[in-house]
Amino acid sequence: MKRIRQLGERRKKRTSNEQTRYTSESSTPFHTSLEQNINEIKKTLGDSSDLVVREFKAGTNESMHIAVLYTDGLADKTLVQDFIIEPLMLDIRNTDLTSKAFTNRSSLEILKTFSIASGEVTPIGDFDTFYQYVLSGDTAILIDGDTEGVAIDSKGWEDRGVNEPTSQTVIRGPKDGFTETLRTNTALIRRKIKDPNLWIETKQIGTKTHTDVSIIYLNGVVDPKLVVEVRERLSRIDIDGILESMNIEELIQDGTYSPFPTIFNSERPDTVAAGILEGRIAIVIDGTPFALLVPALFVQFFQSSEDYYQRFDEGILIRLLRYLSFFLALLTPSAYIAVTTFHQEMLPTPLLISLAAQREGIPFPALIEAVLMELTFEILREAGVRMPRAVGSAISIVGALVLGQAAVEAGIVSNAMVIVVSITAISSFVMPAFNMSISVRILRFPFMILAATFGLFGIILGLIGMVLHLCSLRSFGVPYMSPMAPLIMKDQKDGIFRAPLWALRSRPTFLSENSTRNQTPSPKPDTK
Amino acid sequence: MKRFICRLAPLVLCLFSLTSCWSSKELNEVAIATAIGIDKSDSGYHLSVQVLNPAEIVSFNPTSRTAVTTYQTDGETLFQAFRRLTVEAPRKVYFSHVQSVVFGEEMAKSGILKTLDFLSRDHEMRTDFLLVIAKETTAEELLTVLTPMDKIPASKMVSSLENAEKNWAPTHTVKLDELINTLVGDGVEAVLTGVLLKGDPEIGMDMGNVEKVHPPTTIQISNIGVFKRDKLVGWLTEDESKGFNYLQDNVKSTIINVPCSDNSAASVSIEVISTKTKLTSKINNHIPTITAAIQMEGNVGDVECKTNLTNPQNLKEVEESVENDVKDKMVKSVKAAKELKSDIFGFGTLLYRNHPGEWKVMKQNWDEAFQEVEVKYEVNVTIPRLGTITESFQRKGDD
Repeated sequence: MKRIRQLGERRKKRTSNEQTRYTSESSTPFHTSLEQNINEIKKTLGDSSDLVVREFKAGTNESMHIAVLYTDGLADKTLVQDFIIEPLMLDIRNTDLTSKAFTNRSSLEILKTFSIASGEVTPIGDFDTFYQYVLSGDTAILIDGDTEGVAIDSKGWEDRGVNEPTSQTVIRGPKDGFTETLRTNTALIRRKIKDPNLWIETKQIGTKTHTDVSIIYLNGVVDPKLVVEVRERLSRIDIDGILESMNIEELIQDGTYSPFPTIFNSERPDTVAAGILEGRIAIVIDGTPFALLVPALFVQFFQSSEDYYQRFDEGILIRLLRYLSFFLALLTPSAYIAVTTFHQEMLPTPLLISLAAQREGIPFPALIEAVLMELTFEILREAGVRMPRAVGSAISIVGALVLGQAAVEAGIVSNAMVIVVSITAISSFVMPAFNMSISVRILRFPFMILAATFGLFGIILGLIGMVLHLCSLRSFGVPYMSPMAPLIMKDQKDGIFRAPLWALRSRPTFLSENSTRNQTPSPKPDTK
Repeated sequence: MKRFICRLAPLVLCLFSLTSCWSSKELNEVAIATAIGIDKSDSGYHLSVQVLNPAEIVSFNPTSRTAVTTYQTDGETLFQAFRRLTVEAPRKVYFSHVQSVVFGEEMAKSGILKTLDFLSRDHEMRTDFLLVIAKETTAEELLTVLTPMDKIPASKMVSSLENAEKNWAPTHTVKLDELINTLVGDGVEAVLTGVLLKGDPEIGMDMGNVEKVHPPTTIQISNIGVFKRDKLVGWLTEDESKGFNYLQDNVKSTIINVPCSDNSAASVSIEVISTKTKLTSKINNHIPTITAAIQMEGNVGDVECKTNLTNPQNLKEVEESVENDVKDKMVKSVKAAKELKSDIFGFGTLLYRNHPGEWKVMKQNWDEAFQEVEVKYEVNVTIPRLGTITESFQRKGDD
């Protein structure tokens, strides 16, 4: 305990140090000499080959010494040439920059006002700001004799483009997915919610990566305290790099020592937009197509956006199916172990006979048999994710043969165990949120041990423990198990069940004060 | 909180490692028993246990091994005999799936009450097995017969019993609770269905028995055995057994044959589809009178003569003869019970419920009083349906 506290203090100290170092006030301002500036930039960047420095003279008597700097690959080359270099080199060649009209202005102002045809122009005065802009794709213009330069937005790098999401597929519904570019992603959300109250706050996190992180919410719907909380938690992050939204998730989530996820992630703009409409906050991170949604509830991980794109009765049944498969994936192996080693009297006689016949000659106890098969399956699954695509078929052949026929024929496992493992495997794939199925994967093994030592009592004990733990969890102040615990009758319409859309007139009460969705009078179809 | 978990964790770990699944038993470490046979022996009990050979039962490529094995031991008490099984059986015998318990006839005649204590006390026994008597043989011999169709002789016996009770009526399945209630209850005596061994038991225990189209040795469900207290005192005939079941409202369906009205030797068969029996009692002059009111509904199932049943008059006649037949069987069964001095119908219990005061007196010498019980029968039979053909085509055939 003491040590942890000490660590925390040390980290706090470091935070304050680094923050001062990286604010632009403390960084070195530009020198007046352009050459000196360029030399220093090149020195700092270690002569990196992707920095392009184009120097030239402009004005009638070449009175102005200008340098254009941009990062090759990050900046849009045509844009830089057509709208920045060309006007500077050609259009003002015949302008007398020393004429009376310009005397009272700095050369930079002249350029800004007359020559640069770009929407986003920011003045920069020191090296750190320069690096920040140029290394994220902007083009900088520095002028000899001036201690200020400008950064012009010219971002345009090779991009994957908007593709169909691969992790959360639907049959009916929008097929666009987030990309690795933050701007594209915010645009995808903005395209779904064209409301002035959709506010996007952006900040950079990561002392080295300077990753853009946006929090997006619907002002007036979201609980203002929640926004403050999210801001506060994000500002507490002090780390050198953010490469994926999981980095953020791990640093701001409530229960680190819980197997259950308390932050929802999605690759789908429609899911995120729906969350924002309900009063949640989306956290979109540059460089990853996975956006976060907070707060997240247990039931949320069993909901797919397609529930709302199909008939509501189907939605209800599919959700029930998901809960069923959650328990199947969690408990099938442990229930099999418990019943076959402790409670044989529970089975119908013919089933018992058939199971007993299969177990004849199996050298291991049921627990070892189950763990063996589950481990094999987990290894296969991991191999299937990690291996190069070209050897994919090899894995499936080996998997089908090893897991299936051969293991049984060799007398290592029984047929029933193969069925149990298969049911478990298939059920765990039903979960629409992959991180929930990982939780199930982890919990399955403790449950198997409990079942092997205490039988069904052990399973029930484990379940009680699990439910207690779930009820103790919170996600950004919201009880994780709501609307079941605490029971909120009003929110049952869109928890385990899914009511028809015309009945979903209020937002979840725990998320938003302003809870009506303004469907008055009710648009319920006339029954007559 | 963290300190609490740190202290709890070792305790939980101990829990797992020290208890070491003490009560677990893997499926391949137990032998599943399906039937228990209890016979009398010089020292006490002779126990036969029919144990399954699961691999042989579910196998698609059966070998020459039998699907069941019977192990036998002796013991002074039943529990001792059960535990002594371990010297012969290769695994621990597991009794939760026992489907039937068979008493040898000798055993039944000498009293079965003592054996029931273990059967209902032991936690491993589910009390949903059927109890039967091996008629004219020992339980040991009955449990060694191999049966075709159903590879497990015990489940053949149980399903035969249940089917016979449902469709044919002169049998009655008795489970442990009912048997104990009737054995220890006042004013009622126990019954158990008998099971017959037909053929040579030596051939029955051989695989050859099930390799023939017509197995030389078979197990057959027989009639009802009557107990006086816990001792078997006699057997009812098929008619008497049926009468017993009519009176007890146990009949679900059966076939009743009545002679044709045209005086030919042929007969009409009626399929009973529903019966309802109500017993009421009255006491006149210290003589109890029991009235059995039976509402019965039946279908015409088989007409082997020329009677035209579309004629209401003829149908009425059939109904009447069915009524007489039912009544006749009940009379026979009451007579048989009186001869055996055993109140298997529970008339005593009925009197106790309706006339508790008089029953207190009558209870003292119920055996004699039972002889004087008068039984009145009110049978009402209706035949609403004639089957899928109306007129018998035998009428045409003769023309």
